[in-house]
Amino acid sequence: MNYRFVVKPELCIGCRTCELACSFAHARNGKQGRTRIFALDGGFKDLFVPVTCLQCEDAACAKSCLVNAITRNPETGAMDLDHEKCVRCMACVAACPFGCSLIDEQHELVVKCDLCGGDPACAKFCPTKALEYKPVTVTALRPAI
Amino acid sequence: MVSLTINGKVVRAEEGEYLLAVIRRMGIDVPALCQHEAVEPYGGCRLCMVEITKDSWDGWKKYVTSCLYPVEQDLIVTTHSDKVNDLRRGILDLFLARNPETPLIQKLAADYGLTRTSYEAIPEPNDCILCSICTRVCDAMGFSAISMVNRGHGKEVAPPLHQAPPDCVGCLACAQACPTNYITYEDVGNRRTIWNKQFELLVCDKTGRPTITKEFADYLIKNREIPEDYFRIDDASHREELADKMGRITRWSVTEEAK
Amino acid sequence: MRIESEKQLRDYRKKLIEADKKLVKKIMVCHGPGCLASGAEKISAEFEKQLKKKRIKGVSIESVKKTGCHSFCEKSPLVAIEPAQVLYTRVQIRDVAEIIEKSVKGDDVIERLVYHDPKTDEAIEKYPDIPFYKHQTRIALRNLGKINACDIDDYIRVGGYDAAVKAVLHMTPDEVIDEVKKANLRGRGGGGFPAGRKWESCRKIEADVRYVVCNGDEGDPGAFMDRAIMEGDPHTVLEGMIIAAYAIGAKDGYIYVREEYPLAVINLQKAIEQAEAIGLLGDNIMGTSFSLRIHINRGAGAFVCGESSALMMSVAGHVGEPRAKYIRSVQKGLYDQPTVLNNVETYSNVPMIISNGADWFTSIGAPKNSGTKAFSLVGKVRHTGLIEVPMGTTLRTIIYDIGGGIQKDRQFKAVQTGGPSGGCLAEQHLDLSVDFDTLTAHGSMMGSGGMIVMDERTCMVDVAKYFLSFLVSESCGKCIPCREGLYQLYKLAIAISEGRGKEEDIARMERLSDHVVVGSLCGLGKSGPNPFLSTVANFRDEYLAHIVDHKCSAGVCKELIKFEVITEKCDGCMACISACAVNAITGKKKQPHIINQELCTKCGACVAACNRDAIAVF
Ligand SMILES: Cc1cc2nc3c(=O)[nH]c(=O)nc-3n(C[C@H](O)[C@H](O)[C@H](O)COP(=O)(O)O)c2cc1C
Ligand code: FES
Repeated sequence: MNYRFVVKPELCIGCRTCELACSFAHARNGKQGRTRIFALDGGFKDLFVPVTCLQCEDAACAKSCLVNAITRNPETGAMDLDHEKCVRCMACVAACPFGCSLIDEQHELVVKCDLCGGDPACAKFCPTKALEYKPVTVTALRPAI
Repeated sequence: MVSLTINGKVVRAEEGEYLLAVIRRMGIDVPALCQHEAVEPYGGCRLCMVEITKDSWDGWKKYVTSCLYPVEQDLIVTTHSDKVNDLRRGILDLFLARNPETPLIQKLAADYGLTRTSYEAIPEPNDCILCSICTRVCDAMGFSAISMVNRGHGKEVAPPLHQAPPDCVGCLACAQACPTNYITYEDVGNRRTIWNKQFELLVCDKTGRPTITKEFADYLIKNREIPEDYFRIDDASHREELADKMGRITRWSVTEEAK
Repeated sequence: MRIESEKQLRDYRKKLIEADKKLVKKIMVCHGPGCLASGAEKISAEFEKQLKKKRIKGVSIESVKKTGCHSFCEKSPLVAIEPAQVLYTRVQIRDVAEIIEKSVKGDDVIERLVYHDPKTDEAIEKYPDIPFYKHQTRIALRNLGKINACDIDDYIRVGGYDAAVKAVLHMTPDEVIDEVKKANLRGRGGGGFPAGRKWESCRKIEADVRYVVCNGDEGDPGAFMDRAIMEGDPHTVLEGMIIAAYAIGAKDGYIYVREEYPLAVINLQKAIEQAEAIGLLGDNIMGTSFSLRIHINRGAGAFVCGESSALMMSVAGHVGEPRAKYIRSVQKGLYDQPTVLNNVETYSNVPMIISNGADWFTSIGAPKNSGTKAFSLVGKVRHTGLIEVPMGTTLRTIIYDIGGGIQKDRQFKAVQTGGPSGGCLAEQHLDLSVDFDTLTAHGSMMGSGGMIVMDERTCMVDVAKYFLSFLVSESCGKCIPCREGLYQLYKLAIAISEGRGKEEDIARMERLSDHVVVGSLCGLGKSGPNPFLSTVANFRDEYLAHIVDHKCSAGVCKELIKFEVITEKCDGCMACISACAVNAITGKKKQPHIINQELCTKCGACVAACNRDAIAVF
């Protein structure tokens, strides 16, 4: 079954529960991780847009990684970043056109959304279903961008 | 798949895997200073040594570096036998003579019951443990800007002829991967200095914050087909642009629907 | 002409022999390393110059052969007159005219120039009668001194390329491997691993591309067997490699030659061109589908590059550092392809095995150690040089019969074999048989064949210190036990030699040695502590004398010795006073002199200057 992460900005109320959930889900050594999702101002009154990694087909992060630390996880479909391999050269952070490879200063790591290994915490905790992780055929958003 | 015994437990592993990976997966703590996932195993620090044998070996034992030894069917591995621990202590004693003031070494040595070296520490020690991770990472990145120079006791990491390395793009991978933070660099404003080479950092059009060096971006544009445009702004600004774009589309589709 | 059958080769050889018979006399001027160093080139040029002017029947410029090492290097430059088998030693340019007159034109022997027995002073005219040669058996070095090094015709004339033709045209690869296996040819580069088994495992690995590599790095200080072969008989190396390549199915071969051996490179290159010209190398060798190209690589100038994995890294253009060998190079060697690596001397034995058969080869030598081994015999023996003896010969035979005993009839103390990381054997080991297994069992090793003889004036702590310092500077530095461990071992050895050692240091050094042996990545570190371990095993008292009594009985360790004037012997000639560079000696004419110990640097100049033996070392 093909799962996709579906974002519906029209449902987002900007409560930022997703950010909190993400941060907790990526805690390491007892310290919260940097959130990989951001509920941002959509430019109009009361419109918020949750921005997170789109797990692009031809991903700039993976292309920019010279040590091949970013690869597609065949099970989740996510572009996973292997922290053990990562040399923190920041190429992917600079190269991602959506700003979704990030620096986690607390842990001195480069991080990105890994879909929580197939069960994204943000979607689980989203009170309005603005974020859903579900089986789909095509995403509505992709062609528009 | 092969099955082998590690510290008395039977485990299964993928053919071609190295022992250290399997040992680590079991949560066993074996020190390994020259190992980095981004590069091939090296076998320099010798701390990951383990004892191996097989039932068919008639009690004969071998000491091998687990980072380099491929798993084998029916292998019996002991990671902390007396002999292995003694060997590790002996090697850490030598490390302490070379790097007496390096916290990472001090900590590891303390784990093995050593507080100071039994040898004469070398004069003017530094924090380089000669694990060669930096040079191997630099090779893996495709730059090979720095390398190990000289032999034996005089071995050190250095750019060619000790001059600012022509092939360095200032990505900092060497400094980031260095386990003892021996490799230093300086970022001041949009200027970066590493290996005595000066770099200019790209700055975000919107926030003015520096990102990566111009040389590194140029390399990625040329060799990795990343559009030049992507390096115009920093990650936060990229996210804002995306939010803006998606905001407008959402707004448009909501109004369309209302009509 | 291309050689494509056995008959063709034979016919060609017949012609060469006929032509050679026309030369009634041959003048074999040694162009080996030792003789070249003492001016052999000028001597052969002088012979040619003078022969051009004179007309002697059956003698021409062709009669002057620039051969490989005659091996009696101590007496260089050497010139042999064939077929009379007369050997002239320490030949000078001014002797050339006389040699031509008396021995080339006539049949006389110039007694002044032949070898004289050091004890009886009896002149020995023919070299086979000289003890130095009498106890040797030559297989790998068979052609040295007998043929012109850079002439394939000379090589073919004495039976060269017979074996290659036999193997390629009349044997299957498996038959070749079987023969080498049956001969039990063990690697002459140090490890003693059976070559046949190596070839067999390489052949068994599935692969499209395989390589043969020849190790001509020869990094052991003082060793020059491989050099002598590569310079003096390059074709035998090629022939061995052709047979090996045919046996394993390799299309490319590499010879890795030590940086310091430019002449070896030149001669091997010439040999390759000559062999290619007659179809013994290159594409479709002898008209078959077997092709082989041999390439020459210049070494990177490091001792460790002789180690197999480091050598392959270096050939492939990387830094010559060893790799851990849990995957063997017969499986994954050069460019990650199955590779057979053998030493120069190993390859030189191969043609003889194929020509004469495994049974012949195993009839020479000792059990499990067939054949011979070449050594460069150096140090305090009377006759130094290149020797080849059947395995199983005793050290005593080598040192006393071939080497003529210890110089100045001093007392023998130790013999070091196996190169820098070999070991020192003592008096009680003199009757040991020299073979791979016996030497290893007694804490030394065969190595590639260095043999250094030491006398009573050699300090064993100093010897350990010397070899450790060599290894410390030659360690590649990749792994810590070798880099830091040998360094600390060296530091401790220095402390002992300077009288700063403590008794417990010996035990500490033994423990450290164990860590270095078990912990090191390659053979350099694994055998690195040997100089210490073997000296402490056989000469522990000497270590203790340094530590406890602060005495160096050999009078070598400067910190522990003192020079003093023996008043009764001193006649006050003032020779020592003028010899002393630091003005540490005072005294009036005809009165005994005195050495000021504070100023004395223990350089030994006074001892050398005194003709009354009046200065003693304590
Ligand atoms: C530190 C080191 C140096 C070595 N140097 C040489 C050398 O100079 N020449 C050589 O033939 N083998 C040398 N060897 C041995 C080679 O690794 C290898 O065993 C040998 O060339 C294999 O050939 P063989 O089986 O014909 O002896 C060296 C080994 C070590 C560990
Ligand atoms: S991790 Fe350093 S030798 Fe294995």
